[in-house]
Formats: sequence, C-alpha cells, structure tokens
Amino acid sequence: MNMDSTTALAADAQLIKAIHGGDERALSQLYRLHWPMVSHFVLQNSGSEDDARDVYQEGVMVFYEKVREGSLELSCQIKTYLYAVCRRLWLKRLTTKSRLHGVRLLDEEEYGPYLNTGAEDDLQEAEERDRRFATMSEALTHLGEPCRSLLEGFYLLDKSMLDLTAEHGYTNADTAKTQKYKCLTRLKKLFFASYKEA
Amino acid sequence: MQTEADYYALFEAYQRGELAAGARASLEARLGAEPRLQQLYQEFLDMTGTLRGYGERRRTRLKISALHEAMLAAEATPVVETAPALTHSVNPMLRISRTERKLREFWSGHRATIGVAASVAVLAVFCTLLGLDLWRSAQTGHSLAGYTMLRRELDKIKQTQRVINAKLDGSTPLPVNPGKFGGTGFALTADGYLVTSAHVIQGADSLLIESRNHQRYHAETVYSDVKHDLAILRIKDAKFAGFGRLPYTFKGGQADLGERVYTLGYPREDVVYGEGALSARSGFGGDTAFYQVSIPVNPGNSGGPLLDGQGNLIGVLSGRQDDVQSAAFATKSSYLVRLVDSLKNKQPAQPYHMPRANQLLGAGRSQQVKRLQDFVFVVKVYE
Repeated sequence: MNMDSTTALAADAQLIKAIHGGDERALSQLYRLHWPMVSHFVLQNSGSEDDARDVYQEGVMVFYEKVREGSLELSCQIKTYLYAVCRRLWLKRLTTKSRLHGVRLLDEEEYGPYLNTGAEDDLQEAEERDRRFATMSEALTHLGEPCRSLLEGFYLLDKSMLDLTAEHGYTNADTAKTQKYKCLTRLKKLFFASYKEA
Repeated sequence: MQTEADYYALFEAYQRGELAAGARASLEARLGAEPRLQQLYQEFLDMTGTLRGYGERRRTRLKISALHEAMLAAEATPVVETAPALTHSVNPMLRISRTERKLREFWSGHRATIGVAASVAVLAVFCTLLGLDLWRSAQTGHSLAGYTMLRRELDKIKQTQRVINAKLDGSTPLPVNPGKFGGTGFALTADGYLVTSAHVIQGADSLLIESRNHQRYHAETVYSDVKHDLAILRIKDAKFAGFGRLPYTFKGGQADLGERVYTLGYPREDVVYGEGALSARSGFGGDTAFYQVSIPVNPGNSGGPLLDGQGNLIGVLSGRQDDVQSAAFATKSSYLVRLVDSLKNKQPAQPYHMPRANQLLGAGRSQQVKRLQDFVFVVKVYE
C-alpha cells in the first residue's frame, strides 16, 4: 500500500469517527467531497443531474446509516465504497428504466476495485429496510386519524406524551396513552398483515 | 384478563425501566415461560423499532437533501471554509452554464449513437467517392488517376453515320461496321508496317486501317509494348501495294525543349491538325519514356505521329493529363527506333525498311501536312 492511500485511509477513519459522533460539518464535507465523482459517473452513463442527485443521496444515506449504527466494516476508501454503492444503484435504475438487458457502464479506472467492498450487502440490507418502511408508511395511512398523527407524533417526531395530549385535546396523559396503545394494536394487524404478504 | 393494549403499556414501561423490581422480575419470568407473550413482545419491539427507524430515515433524508442544497448554495457563493479537525480539502466544483450542461448531458447520453452515425457518414462518403472514381475509370478505359488514354469509342459515331446515310439518299446504308474503338496510326515503313499506341489495340480481335480516301486494309499486331505504349502493326491484305515513299524520318535522339511540334490525328471522322510546343522531356509522373507537349488532343488522337518543324518524327501521342491545361504525352521516338531495331533481329516475316531521307525539310507547314496526311490512318479496333 502506498503512502497516498495510507493517508487517505487515515483521513477516512477520522471522517467516519466524526460522523459517528454526530458532526454535521463532517457529513457535509464528505457529501461535497464525493459528489463530483458520482455526478460524473451518472452523467457519463446517460443519466441527468437529477438522477445523479437521487443516486448520490441514496448512497450517502446507506453509508450514513451504517456509520451511525457503528456497523460499517470498511475494507477500502470511502470514495470506493460510495462509488460501489452508487454504481450498483444506478445500474439497477438503468435496467428497470431502459428495460435494456446487459447494460454496460463506463467505469472510471481510478475507482477500480469497487467489487468486494461489502457495499453490495449493505445496499441489500438498506433496501430491505426500505421495503419495511414503505409498508409501515402504508399501514400508517390506512390507520386513519387520530391514530396516525398520534403514533407519528410519538414515534416519528419524538414528541412527548404531554404535548400530544394537548395537541389532540385529551383530558389527561393517561387517556392519550391508552389511546396510543389501542392504536398500536390496530397498527400491528395492518403492518404485519401487509408485511408478511409482501 | 389483560388486553393487548394493556400488555403494550406494560412493555413500554418495562423498556423504559419504569417497572418496580417485583413487577419486572415477574414479567421476565412470564416472557421466559409463555411463548405467546414472548411473540407479542417481539412484535411490539419490531413495530416500535420500525416506527422509530422510519422517523430516523425521514430525518436523515431531509438532512442529506439539505446538504445538497447547501452545497449548491456554497457553489453559487464560494466561501472557503475548512474544518480545522479535517485535512481533506473540498473538491472545487466546475462552474457550468445551463446550456453547456444541457449539451454535456446530450453528449453523454448520445455519444455512442453520434459516433456510429459519424462513422457511417464517413464510410458512405468514401464509398461514394471510390465508387464514382471506379465507375469513371471504367468509362474511360484503364487509366491512372488524372491520366486519360486517348482512344475513342465509336458507338456514337455509328449512330450519327446511320442518320447521315439515311438523310443522304434514303437508300440502303453502306454495310460498314465502324468498330468499337478508334485511334490514329501512321506508316513505319513503305511496305506495310504501321505504328500506333498499345492501348488503342488493346483487346483487339481484328484491326482495320482506314486511309484518308476511305481505303481499308486489314492489319495484324506484330508487337505491342504496353510499358511504352507502342504497337507495331502490319497490313496483311494480299492486294496491298505499299504506301509509297515515306516523307519523314524517325529521330533517334531526344528533341529539344520548346521545339514547335504538330500532329495529325483522327479524333473525329476527318483528319485534324494540332500544333504546340514540346513542354517537358518527361511524361506523366516523371516517366522519361515520354515527352509532354502542349497540343490540345482528344480521344482518337492516340497513336498519332508527333513531328518537329523539320519533319522529323519525334514521338507517338499516348495520353493527356485531365487536371492540367493542355498537357498531352507522347512516347519518345527513340524508344520506337530501339523497338524496331530489336525486332529486326528476330527474322521478321518482312524486313523493316525505315525511311532514310526526309522530304519535308524546308517545306512550309501546310505543304508538310499535305504530304503527311496520306501516311496517317484511322485504326479501328473490333473486340
């Protein structure tokens, strides 16, 4: 391993540590750092600026979630990892969009070893989670009011029970809580029914 | 009996560590013992976990798209800021105008197609050019690019002749087959040898020599030198009595630059006189076997004699260059003399008696031409 990639890896480790600790500026820096690479890649492979943006945000999200969980096992530079994730994402979109079999991508030699980065597995995991979230979102929509806003308020937006009590006009926090648990039982039915179906 | 909702309340309190030690121990014991309760708990965890994760995901998405906006804004007003803890420099983004961006997108999206189209176009252009060139060279007989051999096709003349015949008397036209190609030839010896260009008689089945007064003789090829574009013919008619004494001689050496030269030939049905000067001592592409002369020549002039002012034959007309003004080429007579010398040694059927005396010397041009024209013939080629 040459000096260059050693220093790069050290910088990457520093960056990951900062992001794991919740440093917004570090994330912003990472985001700006690798955007040209991904946007160039997507534009090169018959995508638009917006496509590049979507793909990149998805890729960064996969990375970010892994870092926040602390479960990222990086065997290469962040650059390569992101390239691998975004490449995979774009390939998927291209194949569904163009219905073209055997899409061939123009790759940059520089990010050559994009295989065996573990990105594939991480991406699959993220997609599985995506599917779960989509089901949940649907279940929440079917739940109807006031259950939906109650549960969203408590679990998604991290509001306190007291705020929710006031917001929904319950007489006291206990009534609100009871209501919340009832809502949960209904959500459970909706969620697991459609999740197992899918 | 507790409802599901009650259990959820219990679970939540348990998760938050709000249960008293006794209650917690009893719940843990029940979870260990009752599979149904355990499943309920698992589902509760699953669901609340998903809900929280979903919330987290939504926040992350917002954050990241805010990052993108921030990045674009930062590009618009470039503010250099470096985080002190981090050593990476931020890659500067290229500033690209809207039109250029569109162009770039178009290019990256369609460059394969454009490439294919361009190569097809180039290929088509070259094929067309090549095809046209081949077609043209097939039309004018074999030739180098820019070089035309002056043999004449006679099909058109055949038709005009018929029309003229019909016009003249309405009687049956003369049974004349005018041949396929034509050129000019001239007498080499008094007893029936003639000279013409090799390309005139190329591929000939039979040859017909026609004099100015429409006397016709059959001829045969004695020798053909394609390299110097020379051919020796011999008249094979039994009744042929000879041309008479030749008025010109063959020059063995080189003629001089700037010498006034002239030719007689049959580019059409009548004999045509052409005049010019010797403009170079090498021919097309620097071929030293040829002269370049500035005589306007046409198809049919091939094989015609080239004479200087003193009535010496100095060359045999062969071709012209298309892209140069009046540049005609003639084989040097020295090559003809050498060819005849070599043929003499091969025991010819009839000996070569080259003319020795020049009767044109000192005569005026029109006198010279008058004497000369009886020795210049149309060579008609049947394939």
